[in-house]
Amino acid sequence: MNDLGSAVEVHQLSRDYVSTKRSHFLGRKSTTIIKALDSVDFEIQEGELFGLLGPNGAGKTTTVKILCTLLEPTSGQAFVKGLDVVKRARQVQKIVNMVAGGERMLYYRLTGRENLRYFAELYDVPKKDVAARVKTLLELMGLTDRADDEVEKYSKGMKQRLQVCRGMINDPEVLFLDEPTLGLDVNIAKDLRKFVREKIVREQGKTVLLTTHYMYEAEEMCDRVGFLSQGKLVAVGKPDELKRKVPSGFSIEILVTRLTNETLDGLKKLELVKKVITTDYEGEAEGEKVDRLIINVDSDKAVPQVLSHMASKRCQVVSVNLRGPTLEDLFMLYTGGK
Amino acid sequence: MSTRVILAEATKSLKVYFFSSRTIFWTLALPLANGLYLYFLYLPFAARTVDLQFTGMNYKIDLVGFTIVGQLLYTFFTMMLLAGAAFEAERWQGTLETVLLSPASRIAILLGGALANALNYMWMLVAVVLSWIAFIHVDTLITDFLALLLSFVLSYLAMVSLGMCLEAFFIYSRRGSIIVAWFQEPIMFFSGQVFPLQSMPAVLLPLSYMLPLTFGLIAVRFTLLGGATLLDVAIPLAALATMAVFFSILAKLLVDYAEKRAKVNATLTLF
Repeated sequence: MNDLGSAVEVHQLSRDYVSTKRSHFLGRKSTTIIKALDSVDFEIQEGELFGLLGPNGAGKTTTVKILCTLLEPTSGQAFVKGLDVVKRARQVQKIVNMVAGGERMLYYRLTGRENLRYFAELYDVPKKDVAARVKTLLELMGLTDRADDEVEKYSKGMKQRLQVCRGMINDPEVLFLDEPTLGLDVNIAKDLRKFVREKIVREQGKTVLLTTHYMYEAEEMCDRVGFLSQGKLVAVGKPDELKRKVPSGFSIEILVTRLTNETLDGLKKLELVKKVITTDYEGEAEGEKVDRLIINVDSDKAVPQVLSHMASKRCQVVSVNLRGPTLEDLFMLYTGGK
Repeated sequence: MSTRVILAEATKSLKVYFFSSRTIFWTLALPLANGLYLYFLYLPFAARTVDLQFTGMNYKIDLVGFTIVGQLLYTFFTMMLLAGAAFEAERWQGTLETVLLSPASRIAILLGGALANALNYMWMLVAVVLSWIAFIHVDTLITDFLALLLSFVLSYLAMVSLGMCLEAFFIYSRRGSIIVAWFQEPIMFFSGQVFPLQSMPAVLLPLSYMLPLTFGLIAVRFTLLGGATLLDVAIPLAALATMAVFFSILAKLLVDYAEKRAKVNATLTLF
């Protein structure tokens, strides 16, 4: 991470969404205000890869949309390279770009090359540079062989890689990646993470804001992360620093069947156990529903204690995994296990 | 306003929205079908000519020609509405915010889309005119080709600029197509597309004179079918030129306002 000053500054940023509904066709309108962002403050340094983490609906995409000028805040201010994103939106648009997950944001009837050339024109890329830049980006993302095929014939991974090319077409100083690996298979997602970290941030020195709800992704990629929960920024820092905030040094991850509230209450009362979080788990063992428990403990000595409690309550333990603190533990801590 | 953006947008629009067999079919089939409908509607009437009056001038023009010109210019106008609908398509396919994420001039983007529609209209116009000439006799009377050319060009420019104004609704609202549909039938009525304007109640005429299509129909019908000269159609041509300038400025203001409101109301994206 370079220490060259702030590339992004966010001060007391808030955004409300107003939702109106009618009880029936001729009924009265009722208005609901949803607070998507609530007085958020953070800074991103030049050349830094900053992760904004949080569950669905935490306000990650809203933050990105405000920063890349697609949405105006209800109150507060945001600056990119010192430019106010509301008052100087056109100047901001010249130096930023955004890539979102999913398969939207591309023209399916155009080829990959035509898509990039079109966006190069919108960004006023110097005419003499367009062909070379398009070629370089296609090569970097491994799309040269399919560059002249229509995008509708691309696989999901290829579309996502083309999106990254589009996001880089104006050589942005700040790049916003909004859940860029959403729905990608493991290898493609891994390659994309490597590309962003090594090429975009390390080699080219770009500033990147990444939003994700994959904690391992943030842990693998980000210099610093911020946790958003219900529109509030609840923690900001380096992953290692933040992990120290996990109340205990270890977590036991247990997959278990026949879990009852009585068992859970008993677990919470055990001497070495600090916190017990239950999370959804999609799966069955021998035809029974499996629950996933993350138990924060003071030391590994808690493992036999926990297992013996489970056995006494006739729970069927499917697997046990003892590990050090991760961002996921922190995520669970801040979001209450959602 | 960058010509590169205009050209890029026009090229993209042609490739993405028009070059499909379905679009090409309907572009041709609809005006032909509508034209035939109007032709047979007038056929039982004894008169084969229509009296067309404007500012003291009176022309007896061919009924079929009257119908064709009305249909062609009205179709052109709806094509301009379609340029706006392209923005709705962008919204649905998730590209609207990608386009508006860029610093490109919004008016250049709108103009590019409108030009693509206009270009698409040209071959349709030629096809329809040739079809009508081949199958149905039309009495044309042209004495001033410059007047005819100017009538087409200024109608075209004024309608493109009005079309751009309407496109602003598609940026602002997710219900752009509904808003624009409100305009379609009234414009058909007030412009005098299917009946001579002198039949319109005088109290409604001011509304007619707010539409470029009205003056476009007068100018083209007079110069193509009535033998009018440049001097004869000076008033409708001046009105068209004024409207082209006025609606262009209005389009710029409306588009900026629509984008701003959409950012405040969070309606730039579909969801």
